[in-house]
Amino acid sequence: MTPSVGRSVPRPDADPKVRGTAVYGVDFEIAGTMFASLVRSPVAAGRVVGLDTTAAAAMPGVRAVITPDQAPAHRSGLGLSDQPLFASPYISYEGEPLAGVVANTLENARQAARAVLVDIEEVPAIADVGAALADGARFIHTDWASFTPVPGLPDWRRYGNVCGELISDPGGVDEAFELADLVIEDRFEAGRQYQAYLEPKSASAVYESGRYTIHVSHQYPFNVRDRTARALGVRPSDIRVVGHHIGGGFGARLDVSLEPYAGLFARLIGAPVKLVNDRVEDMLSCNSRESAVIKVRSGVTRDGRIVAREYLCDMDSGAYATDTVFLISIPMFVAGSVYQVGPTRVVARAVYTNTAPSGAFRGVSGTYLYFALERHTDNLARAIGMDRRDFRMRNLMTDGQSMLNGQVLSDAGILETAFDAVEEMAPWASLGVGPNRGVGIAATVWLTNPAPGQVTLKLNEDGTLGVITAATENGSGAVAMGVRQIAADELGVDPSDVILTMPDTDGQGFDAGSQGSRTTHIVGRAVREAGADLRRQIVEAGAQLLEESTEDIEITDGMVRVKGRPHRRLSLADLAKGAMFRRGPLAATGSYATPIPKYDPESATGMLFPTFPTPTYHVHVAEVEVDPHTGQVTVLRYLVAQEVGRAINPQGILGQIQGGVAQGIGHALYETLEVGADGRYRQRSLEAYRMPIAPDVPRVEAALLEHPDEAGPYGAKGTAEPPIVPVAAAIANAIADATGGSINRVPITPEDVLEALDGAQDQIRGEEE
Amino acid sequence: MKLSFNVNQRDVTVDVDGAEPLLHVLRERLKLTGTKQGCDEGECGACTVLVDGRPVDSCILPAGVVAGRQIRTVESLAGPDGQLAAIQQSFVDRFAIQCGFCTPGFLMTLTALLEENPRPEETEIRGALSGNLCRCTGYSTIVDAALAATGDDQ
Repeated sequence: MTPSVGRSVPRPDADPKVRGTAVYGVDFEIAGTMFASLVRSPVAAGRVVGLDTTAAAAMPGVRAVITPDQAPAHRSGLGLSDQPLFASPYISYEGEPLAGVVANTLENARQAARAVLVDIEEVPAIADVGAALADGARFIHTDWASFTPVPGLPDWRRYGNVCGELISDPGGVDEAFELADLVIEDRFEAGRQYQAYLEPKSASAVYESGRYTIHVSHQYPFNVRDRTARALGVRPSDIRVVGHHIGGGFGARLDVSLEPYAGLFARLIGAPVKLVNDRVEDMLSCNSRESAVIKVRSGVTRDGRIVAREYLCDMDSGAYATDTVFLISIPMFVAGSVYQVGPTRVVARAVYTNTAPSGAFRGVSGTYLYFALERHTDNLARAIGMDRRDFRMRNLMTDGQSMLNGQVLSDAGILETAFDAVEEMAPWASLGVGPNRGVGIAATVWLTNPAPGQVTLKLNEDGTLGVITAATENGSGAVAMGVRQIAADELGVDPSDVILTMPDTDGQGFDAGSQGSRTTHIVGRAVREAGADLRRQIVEAGAQLLEESTEDIEITDGMVRVKGRPHRRLSLADLAKGAMFRRGPLAATGSYATPIPKYDPESATGMLFPTFPTPTYHVHVAEVEVDPHTGQVTVLRYLVAQEVGRAINPQGILGQIQGGVAQGIGHALYETLEVGADGRYRQRSLEAYRMPIAPDVPRVEAALLEHPDEAGPYGAKGTAEPPIVPVAAAIANAIADATGGSINRVPITPEDVLEALDGAQDQIRGEEE
Repeated sequence: MKLSFNVNQRDVTVDVDGAEPLLHVLRERLKLTGTKQGCDEGECGACTVLVDGRPVDSCILPAGVVAGRQIRTVESLAGPDGQLAAIQQSFVDRFAIQCGFCTPGFLMTLTALLEENPRPEETEIRGALSGNLCRCTGYSTIVDAALAATGDDQ
């Protein structure tokens, strides 16, 4: 049997997906279900002074109107327990749930939700981090000091509207700036980006025998379990989460959204309940990628060395802390991982505003942090008159150097290999040549999420291999390709004989969800652990059935054979059947979590995300053309060199690269949720929220660089998340090159492009005078 | 009101409300859930079905409009023996599916395109797909699948 690993095997879930038979969370219904809709705040900040449910309760089909007094009043959260189920009485963002309606149909529930009369005393919204940090700014939460971290997490420095703060100041930074020939300072801004998965969020729940069963399409069922338990004040084991096909997530389905409400309502009315977001409420309430303001200052020498740096970032957490309190650690990795820098100070804050709580989106914060870093890197090169690529090569990290957290990058030399790889695809000097054309380059170090997972492999009596895991197939192929192919090779069976399960937190061991490209690396490694145990059991059973000693038994090509006597053999099916009543069914469980890399805990305070485990290395090159009359940008070519450890399914990875680059193009050029002075989003539909369409996205040219990782299955590292990370940086640098002007924010609008062109003209005129 | 039309070669008569969108009739009344509801505002294309051979966003089409007409949904594409249509098989073989939620809409748009123009150029394919959003793939594998279904990529 040809090994599966390394081959581009088509995915098994493609068939039901092309037939339309795949059941997504939004398609799933529990028999007898009622439907619910949330009454959401129309304003960003205020106080509820009255809630009149009379009219709503009398609407057709209404079963119940759920008011805050029927819900737990405590706060809970992902890292910080600061979020109530219902705003009562204080409203902190537009779209915040105020009440709920349960009815016999979704349409009736939505109609009745609109009939709930809410009397609100509105107060001026704090719409952005600048306003939230201003002297004398109103506190978004007057009782912020009483909030506590979730169990198991020590508290960190928080004050007023700052819900998290990372400070890394190793000393000697100001002195190092004195040694620089030039000091360059830049300020950047990044807009909010909506994940825009095509399946709207939904949740179905039933309450029976004191337990909640929740059906959902979710990237992280065990987090739904834990977060719902905390929100409802029950034990995690009182919640069972069952997963269905996922219509895209990109991070937006890592935290809870509708699930606690579905559970609560199901218990209150004594019947199953399903909630489904309509697209507008999905956009308004989504945990989108946070907006941010970044300031970078670096000292360089004339011969092209970075001798000192300061990297400051304020992230807009929205109304609740969610995951920005973790993400504020990431500027530390971005500021000093790709390029060697001198002493560096990093300060990053997570800031409350009266906007929807922000959250995880593929490449969490890295997209805009590297955008800022790499735009700044271009500016440093330009300031000292060095070629931008040469300047980068001169400062590249190499094997054995440490990041700012003290963690050693043993294989950072791969960065240079990646620069060489893109050069081989298209020489730097050959790109961006001609009027209105430009080229940009950007490099990235990214992590593979280390969080734990578990797999049980069972040999079925027909010789097929069951893979029992709560790992989720979010569309990336990590389960449908990665885990499946690794499992097939454990016994040498065809991938079509590998049976994958859907997630069920009652039936499967813990899995930390599809985040940070962890699934193939972590769950694949757990498969290998389980496979070793299962093979041992198979050999023992084979020895028993064939009456030989275990040393003489081998498993090859899906058969159990006696070594040297190839005709003395059993199929895996016969072995499994034979073993059943002699020693019991054959199954084995494997677990894995990446050991935390060594780092210096003293390197920063407020560092809740302290390491970058299993790092990978990336270089992207974008070639663009700008239209000098309309400001439109066309991406002409896009090159990627991505280090993957080992490619389990090369086409699968190329698909992640193409898709990640497309999302990055959206981030760089089109997508933004702008916040008005009233704290409300300006883009309020997919019509207004411009996303890349088929004519916008070029075919990405990609090289997969293999440097097998010792711990990963067959050397595999994480691959699916990072292709989005350097994209905004590479495109912004290309546009700056094409226009000769400065590009300091994403998305880069046609107006920004025209302004950059004007700025460059002014500069030329200025120099001529 | 009573509404009669043909869906996937089958005549149906259903009770519908006045302004009920076709998508709702297909999914809720006829249980044809292969057609997906992504936005309900005619932007994402996940709900694309063919009305007399032309692709439309069924989420914003009042069902009454289709009286007496022929509707095709993703469920109609595979043959009676279950064999995938060429465009479906091409999606499977070319890795044109990730999460798959947009897939039925893309398949219907491309079915209409290929019936009208069996050998479209890449730019025509991309243009025809402008009304279908895919958040996962970055479109290239979908375009490749369409080209492969024309037989022109060999």
